[in-house]
Amino acid sequence: MYSVEFKNITKRFGNLTANDNISLSIKSNSVHCILGENGAGKSTLMKILFGVYKQDSGEIYIKGKKISFNSPLDAIDSGIGMLYQHFMLIDDFTVMENVILGKELTAGLKLNFPKIRKALLEIIGRYNLNVELDRKVSDLSISEQQKVELLKILYRDSGIIILDEPTAVLSPVEVYEFFNIVRNFIKDGRTVLLITHKLAEVKEIAETVTVLRKGKNVYETERKKLDIGELSRQIIGDIFPKEKIKEEDIEYISGKQKKPACVVKLERISYSEKGKNILNNFELNINEGEIIGVCGVEGNGQNEITDILTGIIKNYKGEYERKTDNISVVPDDRLKKGMIKEFSVGESILLRKKGENKITQKRALYRENEIKKMYDIMIPYPGCPMAKLSGGNQQKAIVAREIQLDSKFIIFSHPTRGVDIKASSFIYNKIIGEKNKGNAILLISSDVDELIFLSDRIVILYKGRILKEYTKEEIGKSLETGRMKFLEEVGKYMIGITE
Amino acid sequence: MKRKLIKNITSVFLSVLVTLFITALLLIIVGRNPVEVFSMMFYDVFASGYGLGQAFFKATPLIFCSTGLAICFHASLFNIGAEGQLNAGAFAIAVSSVVFSFLPVWLLLPVSLLAGFFVSGIFGLIPAYIKIKKGVSEVITTIMLNFIVMAVINYLLINFFAVKATFRTEKISDSLMLPKFSDYTDYFQGSSLNLSFIVSILFAIIVFYVIYKTKFGYQIRSVGFNPVASKYLGINVNKTTILAFVIGAGITSLVGLNYIMGYKGYYEYGFSSNVGFTAIAVALLAKNNPVGIIFSALLFGVLDYGGLAVNTIVPKEIMFVVQAIVILSIISTDKIVESFFENKILKIGNNLGNT
Ligand SMILES: Nc1ncnc2c1ncn2[C@@H]1O[C@H](COP(=O)(O)OP(=O)(O)O)[C@@H](O)[C@H]1O
Ligand SMILES: [Mg+2]
Repeated sequence: MYSVEFKNITKRFGNLTANDNISLSIKSNSVHCILGENGAGKSTLMKILFGVYKQDSGEIYIKGKKISFNSPLDAIDSGIGMLYQHFMLIDDFTVMENVILGKELTAGLKLNFPKIRKALLEIIGRYNLNVELDRKVSDLSISEQQKVELLKILYRDSGIIILDEPTAVLSPVEVYEFFNIVRNFIKDGRTVLLITHKLAEVKEIAETVTVLRKGKNVYETERKKLDIGELSRQIIGDIFPKEKIKEEDIEYISGKQKKPACVVKLERISYSEKGKNILNNFELNINEGEIIGVCGVEGNGQNEITDILTGIIKNYKGEYERKTDNISVVPDDRLKKGMIKEFSVGESILLRKKGENKITQKRALYRENEIKKMYDIMIPYPGCPMAKLSGGNQQKAIVAREIQLDSKFIIFSHPTRGVDIKASSFIYNKIIGEKNKGNAILLISSDVDELIFLSDRIVILYKGRILKEYTKEEIGKSLETGRMKFLEEVGKYMIGITE
Repeated sequence: MKRKLIKNITSVFLSVLVTLFITALLLIIVGRNPVEVFSMMFYDVFASGYGLGQAFFKATPLIFCSTGLAICFHASLFNIGAEGQLNAGAFAIAVSSVVFSFLPVWLLLPVSLLAGFFVSGIFGLIPAYIKIKKGVSEVITTIMLNFIVMAVINYLLINFFAVKATFRTEKISDSLMLPKFSDYTDYFQGSSLNLSFIVSILFAIIVFYVIYKTKFGYQIRSVGFNPVASKYLGINVNKTTILAFVIGAGITSLVGLNYIMGYKGYYEYGFSSNVGFTAIAVALLAKNNPVGIIFSALLFGVLDYGGLAVNTIVPKEIMFVVQAIVILSIISTDKIVESFFENKILKIGNNLGNT
């Protein structure tokens, strides 16, 4: 029995075919993973199912019945819930208000607060969602905001749940928790459509896997026959990315450069906000040609470090020395901090670049073209606002914009969040390229594998101070005795356990 | 850009049509023949140079004021204080023209205009500063400042600057007066249309260029769209906010150029008759695009003078209603046109592209 059947779905945006005659059936009560590189059309297909877009041709059947949704409200009425790649919460409202808002719009119920609260607490308890109903959304971390979105979906009791890249914003520990929640969905008889870029996750949870490439359904397989190598090949199309980084690249600098100069130095930095201590005697040294990885659960002071380094926060205590005026920064939250979504890629580049005082359409398009080719960015039409690029392409555009400033110091905060493997390895390549040019790099991430792969040194940040530091050699040694054991050790430090 | 332009023009055009339709209904309800009213109105405006001149004359202060407001609005600063700002500036222009009348004209003109810009600008600086330091919304502060400005002008007029038993300043020197269109052509005979109309259009075009083609303009819009991201883009958000507010408010002083140097020769209390508020609507109608503002101000000018023209058969207040309907319908047609373009035009374009 199928919960959802897509039949020959085609969707075009201008002359870009986002979905090209896709047929796909989703078994009831199972997890169906949809893979594909950024821009493959995954989100588009899901949004069609959820009534956000209307397909140009093709049909959708839910539990065998043909449906046609005019808006997400119709989809919700038919028992479909969607966790968007970008959350749709109102910052100034509390968790509870956000949840009610959704339902109120759909059902027009009279509000019985105590009853609603009871129902929500019940859901939170059953699925271990762990959010406080009375906190304002603006005070929540990204993973907590995600739980609010899940709460909204569960409160409407949706039987078919679409999860668009939910794990992209989570740290390893949080992913583990998240999958437990998803397993409970299946236990309760729900059906889950999961979009992800992480093949390890697919292996862990998928019943069925579909790969989309350039808007087409190119590959489908079952849990039993799952082969990670084959999946990667299907996602990318041609052979494995030639951008795959070589070991020599990483060794390059440490071998050649003798005594690298210090570019950025933070000494005894303390910072508090609204009476809350955020950074405590934080110390950091970044040399030329060095990547320092800051590892930690989000909300332990990472953002404040970025803001102090970029000069956005000024009222800190301690010493901050820097040998360069220009700083590039790829912020952690691309929508809120990384870009002006109304501007095109070219316009953003000109806006950011010093000395470009005239910004004409012609110059912007020229820049856009240049970057588009160099970074392989998919842009629906020339001069299109960044809002219309898919998430991974937005991220590539931001990375490109910041790199072409030629700064001696670059901060990458969660640079590959929500980005597919191909784009990720591309971004890794660029980060290493910048390091090889002799630039100082701060890499903030909660993806431990990413940090291990790129960093010359890793510091673990917990409650605003460095709890542990690993040199490259130490990381190497630990890896030899077993990756899992090392990850476990790092994981413990991340949550403050020092033994 | 082009796509957006077509979209905007379509929606403005549609809303003007909708407005005509609703107005016609209203007229029928009150027992008037809409054809008669409209034809009388358009005849009076367009059939004589005088009518046309008066419509342009009424559009001039709107162009200046809305252009200034557009700069604020692009920075997401909802400046409701233009009425106060422009009065402060116009008053300063009139007073400084009189006080410094010993200066030669070539010096007096820029001095007076700068004084006007500066004084209006101060009333942009105050709300900007309070917003940045204390987080108080500029909507509240600018509304309050309107009252304060008018009270202060009132005080200064009565105690220092007013000609006895009037509410106006002394007349400025004739050599400061701008040439009128009617001085050169009989066509505009009797109309007050003057050089400042042309200045206002040039000004709007310059501001258009600054907002859409320069780094500074992009910074203003960037701060308006997303102040947080602007910080990470290396923009000094506070500085940009202050500059946008001060420049925007400063430009509103040019309303005084039209009235004082182009028309009466003095500042008179209450001269502006709410131009500062009507200008908000004009800017809104033009989506804050200064070139669009030229056209929407002209439309309002035509309605304004047209209202006077038909005053004998319908109350001229009907034109306020019409102006309000224009705004309401642009807000609603916007959405419709938007979705139409997203769906239909893209498809058509696609089909054309394929064949
Ligand atoms: N609203 C839109 N307007 C124009 N193009 C769009 C729109 N939404 C998506 N696209 C384009 O369609 C393609 C597929 O996007 P999407 O479905 O978001 O990809 P992904 O597989 O990364 O989720 C991309 O090239 C994207 O730029
Ligand atoms: Mg997507």
